[in-house]
Amino acid sequence: MTETKTKFHFSRKLLAIPYALFLAAFVVIPLLIVVYYAFTDDAGKFTWEYVRVFFNESGEGLLGFFQSYNFKTIMRSLFISTMSTIICLLIAYPVAYIIAHCKLKNKSTLLLLFIVPMWVNFVLRINALKELFVWLGIYNKSEAWNIVNTIIGMVYDFLPFMILPIYTTIIKIDKSYLEAAKDLGATPAKAFLKVTLPLSKSGIVSGVSMVFLPSMTNYVVSNYLTFRNVKIIGKLIDDYFTGDLWHDGSFIALILLLFMFLVTWLTGGFEADEQTNARGTSLW
Amino acid sequence: MKKTSALDNSSKIIELVDVCKEFDGVSVVENMNFYVRKGEFITFLGPSGCGKTTTLRMIAGFDMPTSGKILLNGKDITALPPNLRPVNTVFQKYALFPHLNVYENVAFGLKQKRVETTYVDKKGNTKTKLEKLPAHVIAEKVKKALEIVDLSGFEKRSISTLSGGQQQRIAIARAIVNEPEILLLDEPLGALDLKMRKEMQLELKAMHRRLGITFIYVTHDQEEALTMSDTIVVMADGAIQQIGTPESIYNEPKNTFVADFIGESNIFSGVMPKDGEVRFCGKKFECLDSGFEKDEPVDVVVRPEDVKIKSVEDGILKGKVTSVIFKGIHYQILVQCGRYEIEIQSTTAPEVGDTVGLVIKPNGIHVMKKEFRVNKFTGVITKRNTVEFGDGEFECDVTQLYPGSHLDEEGYLITAKGEKLDLTDVEVNVEVDLHDITMSDNEGEGGAQGHIISLIYKSEYYRYIVRTENEEDYVLACEDLWNENDLVSLIIPKDKIRLTLKPAEGGKQ
Repeated sequence: MTETKTKFHFSRKLLAIPYALFLAAFVVIPLLIVVYYAFTDDAGKFTWEYVRVFFNESGEGLLGFFQSYNFKTIMRSLFISTMSTIICLLIAYPVAYIIAHCKLKNKSTLLLLFIVPMWVNFVLRINALKELFVWLGIYNKSEAWNIVNTIIGMVYDFLPFMILPIYTTIIKIDKSYLEAAKDLGATPAKAFLKVTLPLSKSGIVSGVSMVFLPSMTNYVVSNYLTFRNVKIIGKLIDDYFTGDLWHDGSFIALILLLFMFLVTWLTGGFEADEQTNARGTSLW
Repeated sequence: MKKTSALDNSSKIIELVDVCKEFDGVSVVENMNFYVRKGEFITFLGPSGCGKTTTLRMIAGFDMPTSGKILLNGKDITALPPNLRPVNTVFQKYALFPHLNVYENVAFGLKQKRVETTYVDKKGNTKTKLEKLPAHVIAEKVKKALEIVDLSGFEKRSISTLSGGQQQRIAIARAIVNEPEILLLDEPLGALDLKMRKEMQLELKAMHRRLGITFIYVTHDQEEALTMSDTIVVMADGAIQQIGTPESIYNEPKNTFVADFIGESNIFSGVMPKDGEVRFCGKKFECLDSGFEKDEPVDVVVRPEDVKIKSVEDGILKGKVTSVIFKGIHYQILVQCGRYEIEIQSTTAPEVGDTVGLVIKPNGIHVMKKEFRVNKFTGVITKRNTVEFGDGEFECDVTQLYPGSHLDEEGYLITAKGEKLDLTDVEVNVEVDLHDITMSDNEGEGGAQGHIISLIYKSEYYRYIVRTENEEDYVLACEDLWNENDLVSLIIPKDKIRLTLKPAEGGKQ
């Protein structure tokens, strides 16, 4: 039997179309443009020039690269975002844990106390923090202080993004798991390490990726808090683009992208989550 | 309500003394007193919300009693945290750790264990220290535990790939691998289908025999309790109703609740004219019970299988068959004898509409003391000459307090001698008969309102217990069928409220 007319069936998959279009227009195509610019010259011809410039600008090979301005900026960025992430995690986990386990009926109010700062304009907050640093006399005091101040700013700015996912996973953990652990002889500390912590891993992972990656690029924080003396990778890209060096900028953007993939891979973000994917339906 | 036992105290493995538990001021378990003997299979049986799981959780250490003591082998463990109790639990929903595989789940308890080892140090002193169990010992024990539950070779499997029944077995293996003194099981078979459940019942029973440890089992399934237990503790409303062997609980229920909850039963209201004789359904029956007052009102329990169908001439009771339902091994037959409906189980069935005679042998009749003969409250007379009691306010006749008295126009009581009395705030005893209270759907129609918390069919009427918001109970009889948890308004006619003055020296009580 040949079908002459295909009937239009509305399925749930169709609901994904707007997002797919959005994804194509604002993520996939721009990304391809970035790749295009990274590997072409002004005439639009393919070239390795910008790869060479990035890794071997001084002509001294990799040794020169390790001493280059670009490399130092990337390392500084990595250090700042790693520290920010660790400090955020150290603060956020206990906070999320305590809120999730407290006996108060209105836990969301307590959680709100940590979220409310997000409602104040971000530039305002950072400016206020700057004034605080000035008052304390640590603003632009030395290179080390500038790094510290940047980290404080990042932690201040991104803490809620760490608390929320961790809180959500902890609150979802069935109490009976903890009871079972204690029943089997685990001390409260052991029960936490062996049950609560592993079961809240997914919250930690999404918290880490929501803090680590933005804190590599959010140069508003570093600019405001260090009198533009601390450069991070985001600022580097900005400098190239504002300086009309689109090809160099695009290549560094690719390097950043590489880091993002690396972090996502390291934290297991690509692993298919058995539970969420249980229905087995994919977009296409 | 202690269990009578010939065994001495030394065999008590766990004992609860006056244990009470409240959650947010609401009492869940009240004055629990009982003990469990070593090696016993004991079951807490009761409807949901009766406090059985709370009791189990207190033994496990997850909940602390509000008052009272829990003794393990004679030692007070009330304040001991769960990880230090030699007790393991099989949870209702298994609570297997989803991030660990079967082996890691079962080994979890063993990995926490520390054994005392003695060794001789360099100076020649013998010292003891706590050591972890060596890996090969753990592996061996896990293997054995998995063999016991029939799941050898499942070590590497992840929990989410197991069926409900397999998860159930792993949960049991995870508990018994620690060789606990007591194994607690909280409705462990609730999530399984009927056939699986029956199989697991027998397996658990066999496991109990093989392991020789004490099992404390919680269930709301009376058949499960009867099948598996050495001893059953029947609970309702946070209190123990009866403790005994399955046979004694089935054959000699202590009250109507137990009779109704365990198995099918006909419950009648009757009187005991003398020992060995009981009147109910308008007829005299021989029975084996004795020790009641002359003409004491009693409840009579007759199991459906103890009612025999005879020809009309041979029967003590006569009635018409109203329904016959085939149940597999027997027929369930309903016979209407005048006002009384009697349920019978028999392997042969009469036709619907037949008139039959019924006989009940003396050993098929079980006589119990009536729990509720009258509702008793303490009340207070208000300004309007109404009476407040049992979380409500009712109109009443206050002149019954003083014979020959009457009320004047202002509402003062004039006694027979002509004295003028103000009764406001006078405390009185209030009595209302079961049959004098009626229920209504209309809020505010009666003097008090509450939810029906219990109903028991007594062959000619239903006996209801209605509980008000502040936990005052009214017991009443009604021929109509209402549902449990219905919100009802309670109506008591003015002339049915009996008032008596409280003795003056009685104080506030």
